[in-house]
Amino acid sequence: MHPYEEYQRAMTRRSFLGHASLGIGAAAASTMLAGPTASAMDASAVGGLPGLPHFAPKAKRVIFLCMAGGPSHLETFDYKPELERMDGQPMPESFTKGQPIAQLQGQELKCLGPRYKFRRHGESGQEIADIIPRTAEIADDIAIIRSMHTDQINHDPAHTVMNTGTSISGRPSMGAWVTYGLGTESHDLPGFVVLTSVGGRNPQPIASRQWGAGFLPSRFQGVEFYSKGDPVHYVRNPAGVSRMQQRQVVDAISRLNELRYQQVANPEIETRIAQMELAFRMQQSIPELMDFSDEPRHVLESYGTEGSDGSFAANCLLARRLAERGTRFIHLYHRGWDHHGDLTRYMEICCGLCDGPSAALVKDLKERGMLEETLVIWGGEFGRTPMFQGKGKDPGRDHHIRGFSMWMAGGGVKGGVTYGATDELGYNAVENRVHVRDLHATMLHLLGIDHHRLSVKFQGLDTRLTGVEEAHVVDGVLG
Amino acid sequence: MRHGVGAVLVVIVATGWAGGRSALAGPIEFNRDIRPILSDKCFFCHGPDKAERQADLRLDTADGAVEDRDGSIAVVPGDPDASLLVERILSEDEYEVMPPPESGKQLTAAEKELLIEWIRQGAEYQEHWAYVPPTRPAVPEVKDTAWPAGDIDRFVLARIEAAGLTPSPDADRVTLIRRVYFDLIGLPPTPDEVDAFVSDRSEDAWERMVDRLLASRHYGERMAIYWLDLVRYADTVGYHGDQDHSTTLYRDYVIKSFNDNKPFDQFTIEQLAGDLLPEATTEQKIASGYNRLLQTSHEGGVQQKEYLAKYASDRVRNFSEVWLAGTMGCAECHDHKYDPYTAEDFYALQAVMADINDYETFKGGNTLPTKRNPEIEALSPIDEARIAEIESELTLLAGRLAEGDDAARQEIERQIKRLESEKASLQNNLRLQMVTESIKPRMIRLLPRGDWLDESGPVMEPAVPHFLPQIQKEGRVTRLDLAEWLMQEDHPQTSRVFVNRLWYLFFGEGLARSLGDFGSQGEWPTHPKLLDWLAIEFVESGWDVKHVVKLIVMSRAYRQSSLVSEELRERDPQNRLFARQGRFRLPAEMIRDNALAVSGLLVERVGGPSARPYQPAGYYAHLNFPTRRYFYDEDENQYRRGVYTHWQRQFLHPMLRAFDAPTREECTSRRSISNTPTAALTLLNDPTFVEAARVLAVRVLEQEGSDTDRIRWLWREVLSRTAQSDEVAVLAELLTQNRSAYETNEAAAGELLDVGLAPVPKELSAVELASWTAVCRAVLSLNETITRN
Repeated sequence: MHPYEEYQRAMTRRSFLGHASLGIGAAAASTMLAGPTASAMDASAVGGLPGLPHFAPKAKRVIFLCMAGGPSHLETFDYKPELERMDGQPMPESFTKGQPIAQLQGQELKCLGPRYKFRRHGESGQEIADIIPRTAEIADDIAIIRSMHTDQINHDPAHTVMNTGTSISGRPSMGAWVTYGLGTESHDLPGFVVLTSVGGRNPQPIASRQWGAGFLPSRFQGVEFYSKGDPVHYVRNPAGVSRMQQRQVVDAISRLNELRYQQVANPEIETRIAQMELAFRMQQSIPELMDFSDEPRHVLESYGTEGSDGSFAANCLLARRLAERGTRFIHLYHRGWDHHGDLTRYMEICCGLCDGPSAALVKDLKERGMLEETLVIWGGEFGRTPMFQGKGKDPGRDHHIRGFSMWMAGGGVKGGVTYGATDELGYNAVENRVHVRDLHATMLHLLGIDHHRLSVKFQGLDTRLTGVEEAHVVDGVLG
Repeated sequence: MRHGVGAVLVVIVATGWAGGRSALAGPIEFNRDIRPILSDKCFFCHGPDKAERQADLRLDTADGAVEDRDGSIAVVPGDPDASLLVERILSEDEYEVMPPPESGKQLTAAEKELLIEWIRQGAEYQEHWAYVPPTRPAVPEVKDTAWPAGDIDRFVLARIEAAGLTPSPDADRVTLIRRVYFDLIGLPPTPDEVDAFVSDRSEDAWERMVDRLLASRHYGERMAIYWLDLVRYADTVGYHGDQDHSTTLYRDYVIKSFNDNKPFDQFTIEQLAGDLLPEATTEQKIASGYNRLLQTSHEGGVQQKEYLAKYASDRVRNFSEVWLAGTMGCAECHDHKYDPYTAEDFYALQAVMADINDYETFKGGNTLPTKRNPEIEALSPIDEARIAEIESELTLLAGRLAEGDDAARQEIERQIKRLESEKASLQNNLRLQMVTESIKPRMIRLLPRGDWLDESGPVMEPAVPHFLPQIQKEGRVTRLDLAEWLMQEDHPQTSRVFVNRLWYLFFGEGLARSLGDFGSQGEWPTHPKLLDWLAIEFVESGWDVKHVVKLIVMSRAYRQSSLVSEELRERDPQNRLFARQGRFRLPAEMIRDNALAVSGLLVERVGGPSARPYQPAGYYAHLNFPTRRYFYDEDENQYRRGVYTHWQRQFLHPMLRAFDAPTREECTSRRSISNTPTAALTLLNDPTFVEAARVLAVRVLEQEGSDTDRIRWLWREVLSRTAQSDEVAVLAELLTQNRSAYETNEAAAGELLDVGLAPVPKELSAVELASWTAVCRAVLSLNETITRN
């Protein structure tokens, strides 16, 4: 049996000795899981592991804004005058020899200078490109990491590394790890929610394994919310069934399950009753969540959305609404950043869709006093080459894994900081290098988790999000 | 700082210890008691991986443990006080104590006591159980000689008696028939079948039922569910664009092989190396599709060299998990941390499989299905068998044409015509199947740290793991050699791994619980002797799967009740003694099949292309290259069994996902069993279940009698047992509530009846039908409905 299931089973059994009432929902179910010794701080009180967090957390939750496809660091956060100077000249072989290459295999490699001007912004004077002016407005709130690097050069495996720390299939995603460890404070919504949007060049596929639970119990997998059709699969009553009638069906099921429990004392039945009740409440809470009619005009305008229409803007506002309701991990994907060609045209589209809402989210959280406890992370699965790629009318850039940029804000992160650096051409991260697993270690640290100690035995190994290689908390971005 | 061990022991004993060895255990035995501790707490730094080994000390071998390293000896047999190991595990100094605090590992007091006691008793090492060939153990004596129905039961009972407990009583006959139906064919019994069994008090009633189920063509479907999890069968490539690929004939092959009870050695050989068999048949070529089931990528910008390495590793991982219960994936980057598999072993196995033609895969584009040559176009082995059957029937009929009168002849001619048209239509059912083609083997290098860019590693010769029995042969080891090596009589793993998984299918837990890890981090088997006995029985029966399945389900242990007595809940909460049956939620496919079966919608045709049940619109929106739209089947394929559902790796059907079916990216030897709101929403609102409920409601209304009579009939149809009166009352109330709702809103009734493709009989009242649909929805969503007891 899985150790968590074992624990849960033991707890469920214990709860039976203490609790007589049935028809409980998630809140009661989580109390049930807590056992008698859990303190208010302990994650086991909300369906997480006992003993977590390991230390006082800075962040309570994470909003991860994934720019799927891999945005160019050279057009956003990493200004390279030397690359500008070498525009059109051959890329020195000293950089590229023996390095993995994606679509530029076998082609002549030329430098492509940055397409946009950079300026300094905020009191901190962070260097940010003109193409993301709204992000420039939150320069003092964000820590820019310019020295990211990763392992995999194709989209699918690179996302897998970003989400699970390894390219091997079957491992839990970070959202699953975090909810497994910390549980969730939302009573009638899932603890790990995924929202997606599209717009830009040739949207790359994104697989549901990216929010999978791997070998963790499957209840920790991310639940995707949709803008079209049912917001969550099967959340709508069948046609011709009113809410009252659905209530009656659920009541009948629970009463019959309870009678069965009296016959066979199978603890699974009590969990089933609780989950059925939670399901019924989700049928109400999810449509409420998706309905923006209670949002004031100025908020809708700042995000740039009218309603939950599946845009990145709407998803950012949904992320805030989920954060307010206690969801632990909110993962947004915007598909469209794979700019092999026509870089400027597609940067304008992608930044047009994502720049404003990302900044609005940070500002909104800040105004509500939620930024301190919400960690926001922005970035793609990799960056893009300093080299020119000629797919399309205008220049583009290929996939690049040896150096790229991301930013973090809130949740204990120091704003107004630029951390790490790539070389003069923006190829290799050379100063204060941050691997994806260091990002994971830092994220977990801010959530009050020692990444060494959040592990599950799988195939004999104590498996962690940060894997077997050394991972370091990036102190330089901590507040 | 040196402690007197005796003094410390007093403290340990005084503080007491829970867990570890329970009262169930006998004297200290290395494999059972000591290896798990050393493996989990010490081997990471003092184990098989030479690159990680600290202080040049290894504790996984006796030689390593007793070696004199500059005057200090980790383990001095018989003398804990002289053993450095003891000093270090008892140390209170944070720089001295083992394991070191930064490892995150700690020894419990009980574990320390065991280690010390083991050294005191002479520190005897044993070879790891799973690497020693099984021998047939003596069947133990038992006190209660009346209980056992066979030798399996004597092994089980001996342990139960040693623990001072008694087995659970036999389950009631209704529970028994439901259990064995789901276990053997994955479908519920009809009420008539239940009645027949309940009233059949003859000695061999159970055996005749078991034989009938083993002969059912649905047995193969049920077994295939599990085998397809192991070999990671799916209908799509998995990576990036997740395009469809062509492999449904392989699924038919698996189903037919289980139905025909193909010996497991032949089944194994055909899959790993069917293409290498002399004059390979079409069926054997289809079987070799196993080697092509792995995930592939058709992303632009894939580097051939990188992906050849990925594919080769994927195959070794799957091979070792399916047949060896080995976690060889670890050895892709370094020697295994806990088990003797080395990186050399990993790449030597890659070399064995290096003749599989993967180059064609890179040519497959973004089409649906993508092209993954080599492929063949062929008939399903199931259809082939049916055609052969038809042909012999035709011969018979032709012989009878001359006999009888005109009427009889006309009847025979009609039959001939019908059979010929069936044959003709079957012969049209050609499908594509990826197969294995052997080419000149690629050169395989050991990749340091698994890095495909690094060409400094040595070139590997094909070989099997160095510590297992070796293949004696001149010349290159082939896939065929590898497959035959697995089936060597003295192979320590193949037979044990498979019988253990059979036991798991029929009890919910294995005799060794780590179904996928027979290494030193896996759990020591609860019943090692029974495991060996079954393994030997399997091999000696000629790898006869049905023989072992029958032995298991004929046992008294199998027929026990799954109700947990207060005593067993206290003494054996995890059912390690098998003093009761397991009870668990049904696998996803069976939850679907059950709803379709009881409603009468199920289409029982065996084999065929994949089926597309209803699925939420837009679920494939994130797929691209090409963009994807899902069209659910509008013909009888809509109502086929779950095993045939189109298996989209990246977006597995939400119903299957909600009930823990794996995406089949990797080998799955055990599915997790969750209990989530998502599952509840699926039962309540997925159109498949709503439609099943309303079609079942039609069947209800076809019954004569009062509401109460009909509720009782419904209950028996779905749950096999008689409803209690309080259960009837709950459903009667639900019926009344819905009647009053639909009487005032007849349009709503019409909307509900519109869910799904099945026609609505016009003569029935919409209000009645909709109200009964509500009742049926409730019954189909019960915990009991989806539980195997």
